[in-house]
Amino acid sequence: MTLPPFALVRPTTLDEALRELTEDSVPYCGGTELLLAMRAGLHRPDALVDLKRIPELTGVRAGDGMLVIGAAERHADLATHPLILERLPVFARMEKHIGNARVRNQGSIGGNLCFAEPKSDVATLLMALEASVTLVSPGGRRTVTVEELIVGPYYAEKEPDEILVDVRIPLRDGLRGAYVKFQTMERPTVGVAVLADDAAGWYRLGVGAVGEVPLAWSFGSLAEIDPDDIASRVDPTPDLAGSEEYKRHVTAVYVRRALAKLEQVSS
Amino acid sequence: MGENVVGQSVRRPDLVEKVTGAAEYCVDVTMPGMAHAKVVRSDRAHARITGIDVAEALAAPGVVAVVTAADIASLHARFGHIITDHWILAPDKVRYYGEPVAVVVAETVAAAADAVELVRVSYEDLPAVMDAEAALADGAPLVHEQAYEATGDESFKNLSHVDEGDGAQQVPSNVAHEVTIGWGEVDAAFADSAVVVENTVHFPMLYAYAMEPYNAVASYAEGALSVVSTAQHPYMVRDDLARVFDLPLSRVRVTSPYLGGGYGSKSYTKVEPLASVASWVTGRPVKLTLTVEEAIYTTRVDSAKIWVKSGFAADGTILAREFDVVMDSGAYADNSPLVMAKTVNRCFGPYRVPNLRVRGLSVYTNTSPASSYRGFGAPQGALAGETNLDRAAEQLGISGADIRRRNLVRKGEEILPGKRGIDADIPADLEMVVESLERDRKDVPYYGIGFGCTASDAGAYPISTAQVRIQIDGSVLVLSGSTEMGQGSRSLLAQVAAEELGVDLAVVKVVQSDTSVTPYERTTGASRTSTLVGLALQRACADARSRMRDMAAELFECAPGEVRDRPGAVAAPDGRELDFGSVVRQWFGGSAGEVTGVGLLRRDGATQKMPPFWEVGMVGVAVEIDPETGVVAVDQLVTVADVGFAINPRAVEGQDLGAATQGLGMALHEELVYDGPQLANANVVDYRVPRTTDLPRKIDLMIAERRDGVGPYGAKGAGEGTLNPIGGAVAAAVARAVGRWPDRLPLTPERVWRLMNRD
Repeated sequence: MTLPPFALVRPTTLDEALRELTEDSVPYCGGTELLLAMRAGLHRPDALVDLKRIPELTGVRAGDGMLVIGAAERHADLATHPLILERLPVFARMEKHIGNARVRNQGSIGGNLCFAEPKSDVATLLMALEASVTLVSPGGRRTVTVEELIVGPYYAEKEPDEILVDVRIPLRDGLRGAYVKFQTMERPTVGVAVLADDAAGWYRLGVGAVGEVPLAWSFGSLAEIDPDDIASRVDPTPDLAGSEEYKRHVTAVYVRRALAKLEQVSS
Repeated sequence: MGENVVGQSVRRPDLVEKVTGAAEYCVDVTMPGMAHAKVVRSDRAHARITGIDVAEALAAPGVVAVVTAADIASLHARFGHIITDHWILAPDKVRYYGEPVAVVVAETVAAAADAVELVRVSYEDLPAVMDAEAALADGAPLVHEQAYEATGDESFKNLSHVDEGDGAQQVPSNVAHEVTIGWGEVDAAFADSAVVVENTVHFPMLYAYAMEPYNAVASYAEGALSVVSTAQHPYMVRDDLARVFDLPLSRVRVTSPYLGGGYGSKSYTKVEPLASVASWVTGRPVKLTLTVEEAIYTTRVDSAKIWVKSGFAADGTILAREFDVVMDSGAYADNSPLVMAKTVNRCFGPYRVPNLRVRGLSVYTNTSPASSYRGFGAPQGALAGETNLDRAAEQLGISGADIRRRNLVRKGEEILPGKRGIDADIPADLEMVVESLERDRKDVPYYGIGFGCTASDAGAYPISTAQVRIQIDGSVLVLSGSTEMGQGSRSLLAQVAAEELGVDLAVVKVVQSDTSVTPYERTTGASRTSTLVGLALQRACADARSRMRDMAAELFECAPGEVRDRPGAVAAPDGRELDFGSVVRQWFGGSAGEVTGVGLLRRDGATQKMPPFWEVGMVGVAVEIDPETGVVAVDQLVTVADVGFAINPRAVEGQDLGAATQGLGMALHEELVYDGPQLANANVVDYRVPRTTDLPRKIDLMIAERRDGVGPYGAKGAGEGTLNPIGGAVAAAVARAVGRWPDRLPLTPERVWRLMNRD
C-alpha cells in the first residue's frame, strides 16, 4: 500500500515535542513499525512528530548503578557502543542480531518498546534485566518497569501525551548473561535470556516471542531453572512458525541452550 | 569447435544498470496525462454481487471514474489463453477472495486508494469450495456454472498424445481440465511385480516470488491500444487484448521493459486487461501497480495431491507406474490445464516405463487462480515419482543410485512414444551428482543424502522469429520478441549474433519484447530462448550475410557465389575485403541505409520433432537435521546443467543456483496457507522464501557439455530443470536422515520434528 499523506514535525526540544503530541499527532522515530502500520492502513495519523532531533532522547551513559540509554538510540549503534560492550555485553550481542539490517539501522530502542511487538528480542532481555523506562508528559515524569510497560501484544501502557525518554538498566558487577533465540521465519519463535549475578545470588530468566508478552522470573540458583517447567509456564501463540505444542517444546530446548551458553560466559 | 564469443562467460550488459538502479522497469514508465488505478477486490471467497454503489467513491477528491463489469459489458470481457473463463471484472459473482470487482481511476495513487474504501459492494454469500477435495465432493457448489470456449492454443492442441476429457463440461462440475495418458498393460504388470510401492504426496500451494509485482500502464486512444507491462509473453498478451477489444493485432502494442523476475508467474495475461479497460472507459492512460499481496492473489502455483504406485521386478527394474494427480487450480483456469498436461508427462521420470497410466484433474476452487510456475508441473509430478522410486529402492534393498542406474533411459530412447528421443546422457549426469555428494558426505548423526532426476519436454511450441539490422558503421541491432526477465537472454543473443557475424560483442545491441517493433516470439518460457530464438537468430545472421554477399558482388563486380564471408566483412575473389559498414554505405550510396536479415523458425527440419529438446533436471542434496527442533540445514547442493553447450557458462550457473534455491524454498519453507476464505500469509514477511543464510554449505554447480542439443552450437535450454527434482531429493535426504518418509512439502521444522516424534 501507499503511505497516506501526513505532516512531519521536527521538534528540537522535549517540551516542544510534548506540545505537538495529540491523538492524531504521534511520536515517530525509526518508523520501522509505525510506517508499516500506516502502509497497511491500520493507523492514519495527521502528523508524525520526529523525536530524533531531541538531545534528551539520545546517548548512552552509566551512573548511579544504572546504564541509561536514550530512547532514540538505534539498535545498530547500541550493538557496537563501547560502554554497552564493556558493561552489558549480552545486551550488545542481542542488539546485533535483532530484526534485519534495515531494522537495526533505522529502528530505535524506545520505538521498539512503545510498539510492544510481541516478538521483540529487546523487551525480553530488558525484562530479565529488571530494566525500567522514563516517561515524560506535560504533567511530569514517571518511571515504570518494562514489565509494567509491556502489558499486551502491541500494547504499551503509555498515555498518548507521554514520550518515552530513556531506558534504565541496573548494572551489576560480574553479571553473566546469555540471550539465544530460535528463529526460522522473519521474527523469532522464542527468545530466552538468562542472567546470573553469582555474588549476589541473583538469577533471572526471560522468555519472549513465544507468547503475547515476554515473561521473566527470578531464581535462587541456576539449578532451580527447570526447562520443562518453564515451557509449561509460557502461553504460546500458535502461528505459521509452529503450533502451541511445538512452541512449548522448543521453549524447553532453548531454555536448555541458553543455560548451556551461559556456562561458557565468564563474568 | 573454434567459436570465439559463445562459450565465454561474458559480463551481462545489463549488470551495472541493474545494480545501480538505473535500469528501467515497467513501474518506472509513465505516459502523458496518466491517471492511476487501484482495484476494489472481493473480501469473500464466493458470493453473488447484489449491487455496487460507486456514488461516494466518484464524489471523492481526485476520482476520475469507477469501472465495474457493467461498464465493459460490450467488450469480450474475459481472457484466458486456453479457456477464456477469466472475467476482467467479476460480473455477477466473485469466485475468490481478492478477485477484482471494480477499478477506481484517480489523479493520484493515494486518491485512488482512498476511494477504493468508498466503493460499496453488497454481496450474498454462497457456499465456497476452499480445496480440491471439497470441490470434487458430490453436490459441491460450482465455481463456474457455465462452460467457456477453448481458444485453440496451438501448443496445447499439439500435446497430441493427450486425451482430453471429453464432455467434461457437459455436466457442470468443478473439473477445469482432465488429462490421461498411458500405455501397456498396467494391471497385468502390477500383478507380475515382485515389489509394488505406493504412496501419496502433497505439493504445497506456492507463490513464484518475483521481486517485482505485476504492473502495467495502458493507453487506449483512437482505436488503438498501447500497453507497457510486466508480461513475460507480450505477444500472448497482445492476442488476449485484441480479443477483448475486437481490435486488429496490428493496433495493439504490448511492450515489456526489463522484468523484475518472472519464474512463470508473469507468463500470459495478468493486469493488462484491468489497466486497458480503465483507459478505454476514461479515455486517459492508466497506470496500475499491484502490491505484493495483490500479486499473490493474482496468480499462485497449483498445489497438488498425487497418488503414485509403481511395480518392480526383484532387481529393481520398473514394470509399471500409475499416477493420480489432483491439482487445486483456483478460481480460474489460466494456464493450469497446460501445467496439468505437462505434469502427466513429467511425473514418471526419464525411466523406461513399459506400462503407464496417469490421470490428472485440474480443479476449480474458490481460491486465488493458479497458473504457470518454473518447471511447469514437473516439481509437482517429480515429488511423487522420485520419492516413490526412493521408497522402492529402500524396500528392494538397493541404493537410490542403483535403482536409477537400472532404469534411466539412454541417449536416443523415447520416454514419450513418438516424441523426440532423449537428447542427453542422463546416466552420466547421475554419476557426476552421486560422486560429488559422496565425496563430501559427513559422518554425523541425522545426516542424509538425496538426489533426483527429471526430464521435461521443453521449449514449448517452436515458433520463433528474429531480425538483425546491420548499420552503416558495422554495428548490429538484434531484434527479438523474447523477454529479458533476469535470465540473461539479452547478453546471450548478443553473443550469438557477434559469433555468427564475426563482429565485436560491444557493437551488438539487443532490442526485445515490443510487439510493434520486435519480431514475433511465441513465448519466453519453457527454457526456450537460447535454443529457439538462438536458432532463429542464427538464420537471421545467415540471411544478413547472404544479402551482404549479394550486395558486395555488385560492388566487386563478381558473382555472388564468389564472395567469401570474413569476420564482420566480406571478401572478393581477388582478396579485396569490405567490412559490413562499407558494403552498406557503398551499395546504397550517400552514406546511409541498413541491411536486415530475417530468421524464421517453425516445426520443420531439426525442430520438427516435439519437444524441441529435453530439459534434464539432475540434482543432489545432503541435509543435516537438528533433532531437537527439526530444523533442516542443507550441507550440500550439487547440480548438473545438461545444456549441450553453455553459450554463457556463468549465466548457466546463475540459472541453476537460482532454480535450486527456489526449489529449496518450496522443499523447506514456502507454502501459502489459507485460513478460511483468505490467505494467512499473503505477504513476503510471512511467506518465507530462502535467505542468504539458508544457502547450502557446499554448492557444486557442474555443466555437462556434450553438444547434443538442437540449438546453436549444440545448446539446449536451462533455467527450469534444476528446480524440478529438488523437492524429491530433499524429501529423500530427510527420510534417510530421520528414518521416516515425509509425505509433503515444505519440510518445516515442526513437520520434521513431528515426523521424528510421531508414534
